[in-house]
Amino acid sequence: MHLDPFELHEPTSLQDALGLARELAGRFDYLAGGTDLLPNYKMHLNLRPNLISLERVRELQGFDGHRIGAMTRLADIETHAELRSAYPALADAVAEVATPLVRASGTVGGNLLLETRCFFFNQTFPWRQALGFCLKADGDRCHVVPQKERCYATFSGDLAPALAALEAEVEVAGPEGSRRVSVERLYDAAGDGIRRLSLGPGEIVVAVHLPAHSAGPGSAYTKLRVRPSFDFPELGVGAALRGDPNTPEVVRLALGGLETYPRRFDAETGPLAGAPLDAASARAVAEAITRKVRPVHNTFLPPDYRRRMTEVFVRRTLLRAQDRLAGRAT
Amino acid sequence: MASEASPYRLLGGRIPYIEGPLKVSGRAEYTDDLTRPNLLVGRLLRSPWPHARIRSISVEAARKLPGVAAVLTGEKYPTPFGVLPITRDETAIAVGKTRYLGDILAGVAATDELTAERALALIEVDAEPLPEYADPQVGLGPVPEPIHARGLNGSNIQKEVHQHFGDVDAAFAEAAHTVRVRGNFAGVTHGFTEPLVTIAEATPDGRLTVWSATQVPHYLHRALSEVLGLPMHRIRVIKPEVGGGFGGKSDPLPHEIVCAALALETGRPVKMLLDREDVFLTNHGRHPTQNDLRVAADADGKLLAYDLSAVIDGGAWSSFGTVTTYYNGVLAMGPYAVPNFRYHGRRVYTNKPPSGAMRAHGGTNVRYTIETALDELSEQLGINPFDLRARNALAPNSTTITQFRITSTSFLACLKAARERSGFDQKYRNLPFGEGIGLGCGFYISGSNSPIHFTPKMPQCTVHLKADMDGGIAVHCMQADIGQGSNTLLAAIVAEVLGVDLERVHVVPVDSDVSPVDIGSYSSRVTFMMGNAARQAAGRLLEQLLRAAHELTGYPAAQLRVGYERYEVAHRPEVGVGYLEALHKAMEKEGALQATGAYTSPPMGGSHKGARAGTAPAYSFAAYVALVSVDAETGFYSVAKVWAAFDCGRALNRLAVEGQIEGSVHMGLGQFMGESMNYRGTRLLNPSLLEYKIPTPQQMPEVEVLLVGADDPEGPFGAKEAGEGPLVATLPAVGNALYDAVGVRFYDLPVTPDKVYRGIERRRQSGGHWKGD
Repeated sequence: MHLDPFELHEPTSLQDALGLARELAGRFDYLAGGTDLLPNYKMHLNLRPNLISLERVRELQGFDGHRIGAMTRLADIETHAELRSAYPALADAVAEVATPLVRASGTVGGNLLLETRCFFFNQTFPWRQALGFCLKADGDRCHVVPQKERCYATFSGDLAPALAALEAEVEVAGPEGSRRVSVERLYDAAGDGIRRLSLGPGEIVVAVHLPAHSAGPGSAYTKLRVRPSFDFPELGVGAALRGDPNTPEVVRLALGGLETYPRRFDAETGPLAGAPLDAASARAVAEAITRKVRPVHNTFLPPDYRRRMTEVFVRRTLLRAQDRLAGRAT
Repeated sequence: MASEASPYRLLGGRIPYIEGPLKVSGRAEYTDDLTRPNLLVGRLLRSPWPHARIRSISVEAARKLPGVAAVLTGEKYPTPFGVLPITRDETAIAVGKTRYLGDILAGVAATDELTAERALALIEVDAEPLPEYADPQVGLGPVPEPIHARGLNGSNIQKEVHQHFGDVDAAFAEAAHTVRVRGNFAGVTHGFTEPLVTIAEATPDGRLTVWSATQVPHYLHRALSEVLGLPMHRIRVIKPEVGGGFGGKSDPLPHEIVCAALALETGRPVKMLLDREDVFLTNHGRHPTQNDLRVAADADGKLLAYDLSAVIDGGAWSSFGTVTTYYNGVLAMGPYAVPNFRYHGRRVYTNKPPSGAMRAHGGTNVRYTIETALDELSEQLGINPFDLRARNALAPNSTTITQFRITSTSFLACLKAARERSGFDQKYRNLPFGEGIGLGCGFYISGSNSPIHFTPKMPQCTVHLKADMDGGIAVHCMQADIGQGSNTLLAAIVAEVLGVDLERVHVVPVDSDVSPVDIGSYSSRVTFMMGNAARQAAGRLLEQLLRAAHELTGYPAAQLRVGYERYEVAHRPEVGVGYLEALHKAMEKEGALQATGAYTSPPMGGSHKGARAGTAPAYSFAAYVALVSVDAETGFYSVAKVWAAFDCGRALNRLAVEGQIEGSVHMGLGQFMGESMNYRGTRLLNPSLLEYKIPTPQQMPEVEVLLVGADDPEGPFGAKEAGEGPLVATLPAVGNALYDAVGVRFYDLPVTPDKVYRGIERRRQSGGHWKGD
């Protein structure tokens, strides 16, 4: 496998990057850590002739405890003590991404914008050609749920569910200026595995903002996967509790790794607010959430199992967050 | 270095690999590290059809692309080849038909990778799709379009074996206890680190040189000669360092021949480096298998009979399949005495990447089937699993009903060590729900008595030594070090016999121009066969040195003994001569000393059809205990510890043996826990190291290695194999431990967490209780 030649652009400012984006409209991808994009390029997945590297864009750098520049390497925040104590769900999630080598290169922004994944998409060109390609690249039908309309590729980022539970916001810059959007709104709930983001053309994720009100010990992220490293999530659960250690006022929970975009389940967690979170109430919420998810068979573990594990993992993650909130666990 | 128990200076100790410093510093040269002037890049066009008749292949556009040096299709070199001389059914490039998604349709050599791949895209293939066969069960009867003409009676059966020893039906009729199990095993692949890679160069002197990542340089040498039509002496095969093989580099492989053919076509050197998907498609890994086993025992747990049948998924070619079909039966014959045995094995072609030989070839799946059935039997009888096995152990110097000659066995010592060290009896059925302990045992050949040899009257291994005035000793042998430490063992044996420092011994890299034939690294033969050949060669060199020492000291050679770098009078050790002095004296007449040694296994085995399959000059034995912990709510489990009691005779390099055992546990766990070639029909879904789930280091248990073997009478310095046998006991030890943990039998491998989850759920739903659950 080889990388086809592309032109690499290396702007040093946000303005230059956006300018390049305007100039190269429709013919470029942004390049952050490259751990997702470049393997996909080697497989000739939706190649563009230009890559705009964000490596040197200064506005995307830096981490101060609340603002995480999009180009921050996962490894750089993995062992950050302040992050671990203030936003443990995020620290959990970062540590669970891929492998140390990938985390040394992969970025926070890149993980949020991870390409969706599918058995019939993440394959080499000859492999896909033999299959007749698929909706998401070069083809016109889905092999997971055979039809021609919707792509079921799975969103496999670890950070998004943790950040969504923490009510984090994303700072986005585009031709029209900057805006802030909640993490869950970064994704297009009306879209599918192809149209997965709410970003407009050329828009760049500049930074993640961790709200001060979410800081605290009561959050957690857990991940279902076959092996304890390397693998993408087949289910990722972020939970964040705040308020009274025994009767948290706010309970947020988000899932990733199951469907085409990460989802928060405010309606289902609503009943937990202001009440003691215990095994029974956690189970009730977990069951309610499980009824809402529809994984398909495009990852290693069978979808029915992933759905059943949703109940277990949601319950456990809520209880871990509760234990942390109450100081019973770290 | 040697342990207290060892009477030897080096052997029996812990000897770091002699090539270790080169490997850890990145200086060792693997095939892809090599280059040649004017090197071309070779690439392969693979079939997008699982089964199709090729109507035409148009290569003109590809040939015209600037930078393309050659485009090759199947008809130029149509001579079939195969690792077994009796089943040559492969061609370097598909001729007439393509038999699996990934079969090679054409080869291209170009100035660079990009041009080569562009050329592939310009090749037009017109083909008529044929019915595809993914399921070996379908191919058991006549099919509309057999994958190979050689399929039995219009079916896709490549090999069928019927064997019956004793009277199985009578044994079952009188049996007090019977157990019946069906084991299903997904295909697994080797997962070696270094991908397949070959360089070939044809030179104006009429010779062809091939460097390749191979376990068996000699078979590659022969296949190149046959297919390319060149006499062997005009071909030179060189094996650089090899980054793992596990059986996956033991067949002569099509890309090696295509690479050489492209070199002949172009007159330029060509490198063919396969990527990981190519490696998965080349496969030759462990066969997907269904084993049906019935076991009969008397009221005391004495085994009366096995009745075994198997359907084995061969994929597109024969490869080692005839051996696999026999092994999956006859390797059931140890470590227990079984007086009646019936076997019906069928290996079936399918339109999938070919299966072949993989570490503990033919012995792994059947071992799991037997050892889990015995666990059921011990439960049915109310006998401790250790006692059941000890009661049936093969005796030393006995013969199996299949006429296998059992010489040394320390199986009872394996059982004793594993039982005591693991505290098995205290834990078995006494651990809380979710925790479990299990026993699995093993048996494997230590070199095949019946090598895949085209000229069976020649030795299986020959070693040449040369000692020159610099005091160094060059060792020539075609044995293939693929990371398992055979170079180190070769050097250590020579150094041990001659009494010299290890650093004097230089193992010359395998080069068919100078290395005498050894038939390669497979069937766990190297330590036993090469070791004996090396010992003989070194002994003959020593005779020359002792004669010189006699001339220098005046004492007869019979009174001299080997000291460290010195030959001395046994009863007057202060009188002696140094190694160099003796060497130089010995060289006065004819210059550099030379010696040769060889090994041929002794006659053995019965005379029935297939009698040679499974015969070996010795066998290894194993008893492993695994301790597992299950999260019953998710089905996830971890293996906390494995106690690995192993009989490899005398371990000549304990460091290497421990490495082999730890690596075998890892590989066995891989097949048990998550590795599988996942197909949708004939399409391989996971040809990558991301989706093919080799366990990570976090999943590795602590492994306590217990080496309890007594000296084997024929092994070099008492040694037997330790490369493959250590794998087989791993899987059933874990499977039986899972049963102890959660009360569910798992017969469908790999046992992924979803299967454990469902298994527990099913037991509960059927009203079954287990340890309070």
